[in-house]
Formats: sequence, structure tokens, C-alpha cells
Amino acid sequence: MSHHSLQAIALPTAAIAPIKRRRHFTPARIGVYAFLFSAALFFLLPLYVMIVTSFKPMLEIRSGNVFALPAMATLDPWRQAWGAVSQGFWNSVAIAVPSTVIPILLGAINGYALSFWRPRGANFLFGVLLAGAFIPVQVMIYPLVWMMARAGVFGSLPAIVLVHVIFGMPLMTLLFRNYYASVPHELFQAARIDGGGFWRIFLQVMLPMSLPIIVVAAIMQVTGVWNDYILGLVFAGRENLPMTVQLNNVINTTTGTRLYNVNMAATILTAALPLAIYFISGRWFVRGIAAGAVKG
Amino acid sequence: MVTPRTMAAACAWLCAAAFTLSAVPAHAAAKAEVIHWWTSGGESNAVKQVAQAFRNAGGVWIDSAIAGGDQSRAVTINRIIGGNPPTAAQFNTSKQFTDVIEQDMLNNVDLVAKAQDWDRILPEPLIDVIKHDGHYYAVPLNIHMQTWIWYSKAAFKKAGIDKEPASMPELFAALDKLKAAGLVPLAHGGQSWQETVLFSALLANMGGRGLYLKVIRDRDAATIQSPAFRDVLLAFKRMKSYVDAGSPGRNWNDATAMLISGTAGFQIMGDWAKGEFTNAGQLPGQHYGCIPGLKPDTPYLMQGDVFVFPRTDNPNTIKAQQLLATVVSQPDLQVRFSKLKGSIPVRLDADAAQLDLCAQKGIEIVKDRSRQLGVTEVYLTPDQNGALQDILTAYWNMDTKVEKVQRSIANALKY
Amino acid sequence: MLARRLARFSPHVALLPMALTVLLAYIGGALWTLRTSFTAARTFPSEKFIGAAQYVRLFDNERWLLSLHNLAVYGALFIIACMVLGFLLAVFIDQNVKGEGVLRTVFLYPYAMSFIATGLVWQWLLAPGSGIEGAVRQMGFTGFSFDWIVHQDLVIYTVVIATVWQASGLVMALMLAGLRGIDPEIYKAARLDGIPAWRTYLQIVLPMLGPTVATVFLLLTTAVVKLFDAVVAMTQGGPGIASEVPAKFIMDHLFLRSNIGLASAGAVTLLVPVLALLAPYAYARSRRARAAGAHA
Repeated sequence: MSHHSLQAIALPTAAIAPIKRRRHFTPARIGVYAFLFSAALFFLLPLYVMIVTSFKPMLEIRSGNVFALPAMATLDPWRQAWGAVSQGFWNSVAIAVPSTVIPILLGAINGYALSFWRPRGANFLFGVLLAGAFIPVQVMIYPLVWMMARAGVFGSLPAIVLVHVIFGMPLMTLLFRNYYASVPHELFQAARIDGGGFWRIFLQVMLPMSLPIIVVAAIMQVTGVWNDYILGLVFAGRENLPMTVQLNNVINTTTGTRLYNVNMAATILTAALPLAIYFISGRWFVRGIAAGAVKG
Repeated sequence: MVTPRTMAAACAWLCAAAFTLSAVPAHAAAKAEVIHWWTSGGESNAVKQVAQAFRNAGGVWIDSAIAGGDQSRAVTINRIIGGNPPTAAQFNTSKQFTDVIEQDMLNNVDLVAKAQDWDRILPEPLIDVIKHDGHYYAVPLNIHMQTWIWYSKAAFKKAGIDKEPASMPELFAALDKLKAAGLVPLAHGGQSWQETVLFSALLANMGGRGLYLKVIRDRDAATIQSPAFRDVLLAFKRMKSYVDAGSPGRNWNDATAMLISGTAGFQIMGDWAKGEFTNAGQLPGQHYGCIPGLKPDTPYLMQGDVFVFPRTDNPNTIKAQQLLATVVSQPDLQVRFSKLKGSIPVRLDADAAQLDLCAQKGIEIVKDRSRQLGVTEVYLTPDQNGALQDILTAYWNMDTKVEKVQRSIANALKY
Repeated sequence: MLARRLARFSPHVALLPMALTVLLAYIGGALWTLRTSFTAARTFPSEKFIGAAQYVRLFDNERWLLSLHNLAVYGALFIIACMVLGFLLAVFIDQNVKGEGVLRTVFLYPYAMSFIATGLVWQWLLAPGSGIEGAVRQMGFTGFSFDWIVHQDLVIYTVVIATVWQASGLVMALMLAGLRGIDPEIYKAARLDGIPAWRTYLQIVLPMLGPTVATVFLLLTTAVVKLFDAVVAMTQGGPGIASEVPAKFIMDHLFLRSNIGLASAGAVTLLVPVLALLAPYAYARSRRARAAGAHA
């Protein structure tokens, strides 16, 4: 509900109070719409070009205008693109599922323990964990590589999932901790009085009422994991390369002619899942961003 | 008493035994998992020759192709650390695997080396990188030459150039003629490794063996700051004026395509470029020419591919490694491999008749020990080579004073 | 009885994954990298300690110095552009415009894409001759030139454009959430006082959004330090080394150039500004928390 809704209505009582009558088409209003419209063009332009390019044959791309609609639309680039990145697609799925479920579970447990039980030292650990979220991943990458290589798990699916668990923990824990912080403490105390222990209360009271934040966490984590490049590049191993890595390999190879239509189709395919999640989830996505950004 | 039932049982047992015995070969086949990065068309065909030869020798080839040299090598190293190494892995003939040797992570192939007398038949720069402390740790498959000067006969004709340049002034004159004729004098791809190739060619052609080794192998600061080296850098920068505006980021094979279509005159590139000409149906001597060096004593800058054999005590694996090393060093396999790859065989005693004109030129030159040199990666570690590459590509793209570039190179190479 | 005793430790047990992650991965990893930066490690870790030699070499390295310079230029432009654009978008959307939902979706969808996809699309759009430059020329402006992406000095600006496109939606979403929390009476009061709208926003509303702005600034800064995917996809650090950034320098030296000692020195150096930024932020937060606690 906008606070300007009052002023937007041309009040017949305008004669009573010396308020300037606001008409809908003041220059200021036009300016607002003009700005927003131009901004929308800027934001939509790449998407438009991506889509349009992916349906053109190479001949048209070489001779034509990047903004023009396809004159001889063809599905061929899409077939080729899918062939090039389909392996990556399924790899990304295989990575994303455990890399979402496990961090959410751990995040919920962490958030729950931090909010209600507060064992000694936990807050300090949490503080370091949060700080860790800001640290560039390059600081920790090689030690992880070394440890995993020594353990012989480097370049496998468990390796990349473990890495996503490690780097997803700060945000997940933060989301759940903040969520549980808004749960009335009386609820928790009542459950304890009823004889509930740590796990009983978690599984029977807290987790069932966490659905909204679980949805938000899932959206954030799936998007983050799916769009990840650097961790997949280093830890996933050749058989499990996620779609983003495969996409970059396909497009930025240094041999062969560059097939721009295939490249754009492949890029859309790679961006499709998180975009779909975004368009479908709408407000939940925004809630996730806001919840993650509000540091305590 | 032998009843029908006993007979049936005996038959059953015998049949089972026969079946299991036949399923197991008389001796366990030598299984080799090989990591390599020969994934493009011609390369892929070339490695299939190796696989086939290995199978013919009784081995089982398990192919682990990983696109991209850096990726492939990184996977190899990580698997070695992780205790799950491949049987063999491809590296370049360079210092890429020096650390791996020093960490004692490779099996040596002294047996094969001795049996085939590598000390005698291999070129010296190659021996220097694959032999440490008297032991051989890699088996070379081929020799590539990085700095061939290719030219399009059609472009030459159009520009009125009637003979191959035999000196730097003649090269520049030819470039000028091409420019005057409206053609692209030098087809170049603006990627840092290609700039390093161009630089290496100029250093070899202008500076000869002496200057090259002093700069690249000895990293002698005084030589780097010398006027002779300064001239090389200036010639390098001068080359920029002969490339077209579309060169930034261009792939090497797109540059070769310009020669094939006759729109460009020269390209300085390794002998893998031959494959592009061949695919387009062009023949050496007819449509295109190949100059290994401007002068008769210009160094032949060698690079190539080797297989290394990660350390293992498993006797079956060691057997497979030895078998692979032997197979790969056979002269006829090397010839077949090189034919498809565009390189020349490592063995100086291989039969060159099947190879094309340019390869034969190369083979003749390689026999001359005074012309045997390695590319920068043979003498510099990956990060030293990378630092040099960074400075060269920056100099190529920016207008810096040449003295400053000399100081930068001297500084970078002192580490 | 024993069960009850053990149950007391349930929270601690539950928080074990978090503790392990923080101690081993985050703290342990950072310490390992710090240690390695003082050794002569090349392809493999080494026990040979060489003092600060790697740092000396690092700051003697032109590519590293260029990457720092690029990061500073990029960072300043990116943060300012994102904040300004995000703020303006939020303000304008907040003017009770029609189609607010659609507009928000349009501005925020780029954030759902991976940096790789973004980089690839913008690489195509900004390709000289075929992208925007070619299209405008085809429309008749034959003298138009937009080949920044192959220009030594201008390429970093193309990375700014692509990433601002991706991230301003996030800033908009956060600022909008902040704006929605402002008492509508403020606007009415300001108007009654005769203050023009733009001054109201700049001098009254913006300061009230202090915490939001601080959060946004922190998020954007960490994104700047982590810049890697977009550069890899868009320019691969080129032309030459013109668009090199520290994260890419570190990754290249860890894996391609086989010099983990030098790369570790780079990683530690990159960590310093992040910690420098986090420390006052954390301090300010803890002071606020303590002040709030004191009043409670």
C-alpha cells in the first residue's frame, strides 16, 4: 500500500485545503515513468538479444543486426546447445539437490540451537561463520583442495556437495537464526516444560513451523548453487561439472568457430532454472534477499 | 562307482571350470587409463592411433580425455595427490612436471629408455626436461615446432613477392609489400600465448642460439637489458603495425583461415597449423609455404607432448606403463601419430618419407644439434613463463618504452 | 539418568558440524593459506619458509599491481553506480506507479542469473562489429564506435556495465524494503514545509535508510572483492591482461601457473581490506546490540 495513494486521488475537497491538485500527467510523473521505462529497456535488452540470437541461423547473425528479429527462425541452435550442455544440466541437478537439503537441515539445526539453547561459545562461532561469508573464497580454496586430494575424494560429487555445505552454512544459519529469533520464546519454554528435549522440540515444534523460511532458504540456496562457477570449476571433477562450467567451456574455447546462436541458446538453458524459480517465487525471492541482508 | 549322476556332476564341474578359465585370459591384460587433452579433430584421430597400437600390443586402453591442457594437468596432479592416479598422463615437454618429479610422484622409464638408447636418439633439449638425476621420467611422443613462418602463395603473388624472405630486413620488406597490396601482412590472434610465439620467433631469428639461451635459459639480466635484446623487442612491437584491427582475441585457427583464403600473407604459428591447410585441401609448396627459420642456422624451437607415469607399486600397472612407453616410442607409431597431429617424430631415426614437405624440412633440421632448442616453457617454470607472457602481451597492447619492458622482463625473470 | 546427562550436550553435538566448519574450513583454511604465503610452495605445498619473499615478489609483479588498480577503479564505479541506480529505481517505483510488480520483476531478474551467463551475454552485446556497435552502425550511424571491450584502458568499464546490470536490482529490492519502512507522515510533513521532493529524499529519507545503505554497501563491497566469474566469462582477463582482477590472479597462480605460495600471498592481501571493513561493521553492531541490551 503506497503512502502516496492519498495524494493520487484528486480530492473534491481540494478547495478546502490549500493542497496542490495533483493531476496524473504532471511533468514529474511523466519523468518518473520515462525513467522507469528506460531503465526497463536497459534491463530487458540483454534478455531480448539472448532470445532473439538463439533462434537465428549463423548466416543471419553474421550479416545482420543484433537487435533484429529472426527472419529465418530455427530451432537448430537449441538442439546443438542442449547437446553441448545437457550433461552439465543433470550434473547441476545432482549437485543442487544434496547441496540444498543438507545446508538447510544444518542451517535449521544451527539456527535453532543458537536461538534457543545458546551453548557457550556458540555465538562466537556464529560470528566467525558470518565473517567467513564475506571472505573471498580464494583464501580457503587451496587448503580444501589439498585436504580433499589427500583424502582421495577430490573431484567427486561428495566433494562439491561438501564444499557447498561449507560455503552455504553462513547464509542458511543466519536465515534460520533470524527466523527463530522472531518466534515467541514462550512457545519454546512451554515445550520444555512439557518435557521436550533438544531434538524432540526441534522435530516436533520448530521444524514444522519453519515452512516459510525453508522455502526462502531453498530458493536462495538452489539459486546460489546452480549459479556457482568457481567452486564447481575447482571441486566438481570432470564427470560432475555443473552447467555454468560447461557453458563457459563451450563458449570460450580457443578452437573452432564461435557459434553465437548456439552460445546464446546454451546461456538461456543455463539461466533457465534460476530464472524460472525467480519468476515463480516472486515475493519469496525478495524475502530471501531481504532476510539474508538483515544481519541480525 | 561311476554313476550317471557322478558323470553329470563331473561334467558340470568341468564345464564350469572351462567356462571360468576361458573367461580369464592366460595373463591379465595390461590396462592403462590415460589422461590427455587431445580432443580436437586431428588430435583425436592421432591419439586413436596410439590407442590402437597399444591394443595391438595386447594392452587395454582406457581413454580419459579432458579438454584443455591446464584442466587436464590439474586433474592429473590432483589425482596423483589423492592416491588415485591414472596409469599415464599427458604433459608438454616442459617444466610442467618438474615439481611432480621432485616430489617423487612418478615412476621412471629407465628400462625402456635404455632398451631404445634414448641418450643417443633424442634431441638434447628434450632429454634435459625428461631426465632428472640420471633417470628418465617421461616418454616423448612427438616434436612440435612453435615458430614456423607460414605464408600464402596467393597473397605473395598478389603482392609481388617472388621469393621467401631470408633475413629480417627481407621479412619486413615482404610485410610492407603485402600492406601496399591491401592485404593483411601478418595474420595474428590477439591472445597472450600467440604473442609469446611471435616473440619467440623473433628472438630465435634475430638473436640466434646465443641470445635465445642467455635470455630464456640463463635469464641473464645483463643480456636482457642489452641493445641486442632491445632490438628484438622493438621488432616485436613493430609487428603490431602489420596486424589487422580484428586481431584481438582471435583464435589461432581463424588466423590461419586468413592465409587459406588469401586475405593475409604471413602467420607465425606452430606446425599444428598444417592441419588447417590440409583440411581446406591446400598443399605445401603449392598453396602455402613454410619457413622454419629465416637463416640456415636459426634455432628450431621444439616443444611437444610426453606421457608421464605416476608412481605406483602395482605390478600390473607398472607392466602397463612399460608397455605403453615401449609402444609410444616405436618409430612407425610416432610417424603415424605425427602425420595426424602435424608434428614430427621424436626419434631421429624414424622414416620420414610418409610425412609432408614441411615435416621433412623439420626432420632434417632437427638432426642438426646446433639448431635444437626448446620453446620458453622448456627452460622456464610455468609461473616464470607466465610472467614473461604477461609482460609481452602488455607491451604488445600498450605503448610502453622498450627500456621499461626490458627492466620488467629482467625483474620478472629474476624470481 | 545417563541419558539425561548426555542430553545436556545435545546442543553442542548438534552444533558440531558448524564448529567443525568454522574451525577447520574457515579458520583452519585461512591459517593454512597464511602459512603457505610464507613458504616457497610451487605446485605442491612446501616446508621451506622464506619469510615475506612471496609478498615482495607479489608487489613486484605488474600483473598483480594492475589487478589491484583495476579492482579499485571497478569497485568505486560499481558501488556508486549500483547504489545510485538502485536507489533511484526504488524511489521511482515507490511513487505508486502502475505495474509495480512487473517493474520489480524486470529490475531484479538479472540477479537470478549467474555471473557467467551475464558475462557471456554482455560479451556478445559488446563485441565490436557484431554487437551493439554493429547494430547502431547498420542503423545508419556508420561512425559509431563502441569497442571498449577490446580496448586496454576501457575494458574494465564493460565489466562495470555488465555487473551493474546484474546487481542494481538487488540494491533496488533492499532499498525499496527500507523505503517501505519509512513513516508516510514524513513525506506529508516535508511537503507541507514546502520542501521539494528530491530534497526530501536526499536529505531526509536517505539518512533514515542508514542501516540499509550500510548493509548494501557491505554486500556490494564483498561482491567487488570476489569478482571472478564475470571477468572469466566476459574478457578472460584480457585484452592481454588489461582486465585482470586479484581473484583471477590468485586462481590462475594456484592452478595454472603452479605457484601456490605466490597465490596464497595474494589471497592474504585480498583478505586485508575485507577484514578492515568487517571489523568496524562488527564493532558498530555489537555496540548497538549492547546499547539495546542495556536499555532492555
